[in-house]
Amino acid sequence: MLLTYDRMGGLKVVLWVIAVAVCIFLLVPIIFIIALSFGSSKWLAFPPPAWTLRWYQDLATDPRWLTAAFTSLKIGLLVTICSVLLGVTASLAVIRGRFPGRQFLRGLFLTPMVLPVVVFAVATYLLFLRVGLGGTLIGFVIAHTVLAFPFAFITISTSLESFDKSIEDAAVLCGAPPIVAFLKITVPSIRLGLLSAALFSFLISWDEVVVAIFMASPELQTLPVLIWAALRQELSPTIAAASSILVLITLVLMMIIAALRRRLAE
Amino acid sequence: MSQPFLLIQDLRKLFGEVAAVDGVSLQVRKGEFLSFLGPSGSGKSTTLYAVAGLYNPTSGDVMLDGRSILGTPPHRRNIGMVFQRYTLFPHLKVAENIAFPLRVRGWTTTDIARRVEEMLALVRLEGYGSRMPAQLSGGQQQRVALGRALAYDPPVLLMDEPLSALDKKLRDEIQVEIRRIHQTTGVTILYVTHDQEEALRLSDRIAVFNHGRIEQVGTGRELYANPATRFVAGFVGDSNFLMVSSVIAGPGGRAAVTLPDGSAFQDIPFHASSRETTTGGAELMVRPQAVRFSPGAQAGLPVKIKDLTFLGDTVSALLTTQWGQEFWLRMPAQEVGSHAAGQDARVTWNADGCHLFQT
Amino acid sequence: MALPALLLMVIFFILPVAALLLRSVTEPEPGLQNYRELFATSTYTRIFLNTFLVAGITTVVTLVIAYPVAWLLAVLPGRKAMIIFAIILLSMWTNLLARTYAWMVLLQRTGVINKTLMHWGLISEPLPLVNNLTGIIIGMVYIMLPFIILPLHSAIRSIDPAILQAASLCGAGRWQSFRRVLLPLSASGAAAGALMVFVMSLGYFVTPALLGGANNMMLAGMIAQLIQSLLNWGLGGAAAFILLVVTLGLYGLQIRLFGNALAGGR
Repeated sequence: MLLTYDRMGGLKVVLWVIAVAVCIFLLVPIIFIIALSFGSSKWLAFPPPAWTLRWYQDLATDPRWLTAAFTSLKIGLLVTICSVLLGVTASLAVIRGRFPGRQFLRGLFLTPMVLPVVVFAVATYLLFLRVGLGGTLIGFVIAHTVLAFPFAFITISTSLESFDKSIEDAAVLCGAPPIVAFLKITVPSIRLGLLSAALFSFLISWDEVVVAIFMASPELQTLPVLIWAALRQELSPTIAAASSILVLITLVLMMIIAALRRRLAE
Repeated sequence: MSQPFLLIQDLRKLFGEVAAVDGVSLQVRKGEFLSFLGPSGSGKSTTLYAVAGLYNPTSGDVMLDGRSILGTPPHRRNIGMVFQRYTLFPHLKVAENIAFPLRVRGWTTTDIARRVEEMLALVRLEGYGSRMPAQLSGGQQQRVALGRALAYDPPVLLMDEPLSALDKKLRDEIQVEIRRIHQTTGVTILYVTHDQEEALRLSDRIAVFNHGRIEQVGTGRELYANPATRFVAGFVGDSNFLMVSSVIAGPGGRAAVTLPDGSAFQDIPFHASSRETTTGGAELMVRPQAVRFSPGAQAGLPVKIKDLTFLGDTVSALLTTQWGQEFWLRMPAQEVGSHAAGQDARVTWNADGCHLFQT
Repeated sequence: MALPALLLMVIFFILPVAALLLRSVTEPEPGLQNYRELFATSTYTRIFLNTFLVAGITTVVTLVIAYPVAWLLAVLPGRKAMIIFAIILLSMWTNLLARTYAWMVLLQRTGVINKTLMHWGLISEPLPLVNNLTGIIIGMVYIMLPFIILPLHSAIRSIDPAILQAASLCGAGRWQSFRRVLLPLSASGAAAGALMVFVMSLGYFVTPALLGGANNMMLAGMIAQLIQSLLNWGLGGAAAFILLVVTLGLYGLQIRLFGNALAGGR
């Protein structure tokens, strides 16, 4: 009766102890950085001797952090748009199209998910060096779109697959032009898939480090690149403050996704 | 009966506030085939699971051969069980499934091999030992499960609606097998089902469950001829229930009743709980098979024939009383005569096909 | 409709990766000398061994820790499971650099863990927990836990509890039921998760680079260094090709053995 919760007896206790320990293990670093970011010690003493908002003030007044955050946001939004548009068109073709090689295309579109990012990063780096896209905004957007697109594709094609196309056909037969039928009937039905795809795409670009390290120039740096550079020099509490803000953003996005799920379930 | 082989004593199981089993007591003889019959949620499976040790009862006791087994964990109870769902170990071959209980009991390889062959022969699946469960049909899987449960010679075999996932034809076939296996092995069987036909066909005795209690225990014939409660009368066999306006109890557990239209019937058997004379709150149960059209037009209950259907050698008719209650009649086709749908008629019944119940 | 996505994939994914791999057999001159050099130089072979060692240890440790958690989640009723899931997802989606930063601070010589252990008198001088393989493995286990808990959870959940009840009635005690029934039935889920974690660990760049220090380079770090700092593009391409072949080979194996379950890696 190892799978009947009420009849597991002492085993239940053992599993709980391990699970709680794992949860603590998973939570400790996250709580720890947040605590550190409010601590007054420059050398990250813990527990901190006093509490302060100084590191957040440093962040808010340092133009480098602000510029980087703005750059990340700009790239993230552009990537989101590109990746969702490509995801929609590619999903329509693969799910609704009737041409040979659709399965191959599907596999190809998902490959960037399994390829080690570092291989893609150095390959792109070399290509962009040659064509002059290195260190440019458009270069960043292209590279991040390649990484984000598979997630958008898989999310959108899954929801498109579960949407019955005959509903859209019915709208066309009622006299709606195909494009209107698609926008008014299909898009609202798969909106959760579209939203998840958008959030995933944004988060992937926003958090992406490896490609960004190779792509960045002194003039164009994303937030992760700045944190990476700072980390390699010293473990300053400013990074804790920046990290805490990133944790907060993740938390908010997760809650949005959860709320969307719940609303759609109703 | 001397000391019962299996004894269930005032068993209760609460799930939160709800009593799934509410004071069940039962005595089972060695080698008996006893069915738990009842609708879903009546507590029959929960009682079985308490015997298996898969649930701990809230109170009460289960004794096997004079000793309480409640303190024994299921894997030491040495009880066999066949489940409603397919529970063969999907990663083990058929022979390994049957060998499983023997292996955990530390039998030698030769003993196990011999026993597995015996069991495959018992459930008529010789030559299937090296198949995987997924390659078997549902009926074959349940037969292997039966072989696995009997391999270690358990004193009691529990079966929890083992045939409910199978289609009718297969069910009939396996019922015959189960009957045969019970006779060859002599194992005591507790069998849960919601199918009265299955219970009647298989069991020595039947315990009828309702709302967490046992309403009546007896052979199929007893339950049919002498239902103790209105529920048993309705659940075992077909039945009609008619309103009664007054009852006058007579000697020998028999009563005279008057129906709402004034028709009177004598000599109706009634159950102990409805002994006092009453003017309402009673119902007359009439088996459809006991109802006949009166030969003359004067005697019997006046009815209107709403519908009349020929079913080969029998005829089934839907009748309406003068006060608007509908009930059924079933009789041999050759006795119908000239009666037809839409006509008025009068019916009588054999008093032994009737029972009076207090509501 | 699939054309835009296809163009993006071909021009900015397949082309650069192919060009990188081509360099491995053309630079500095045509031939296989880059591969010969990789396998003949002890520095490089040590990095290969380290990478496989770390990936292997990470996989085993993660699997052992994850199993009880996945098990508990599979039997736990409703709300409590939701909380554990939320913690797992939060940690999974929190910015990678933020999490790694936290471990750098926690594990350093003067970090909280060393201080606490010394305070309790368990050790007399700080343990070297960072800038070595220990640090890498702690960080990697932390990152990989969700990737094994989630698939393992669904594998255990798909086992009918009645099968374990049947084992119990057959006379199998807890240990026998576990060893002979639960473990074999969940083995394919565990193996699928483990293989995925192993593959992801092989190509991981950020965490080993930050927690391993300069002396404990892993394969991904080596590729980055060869290309970006040493400008030895041929050798870097060769190393990338080896990583690519191993990764795709293992994923191919995974799909053959367990069906298609893709997940991302950074």
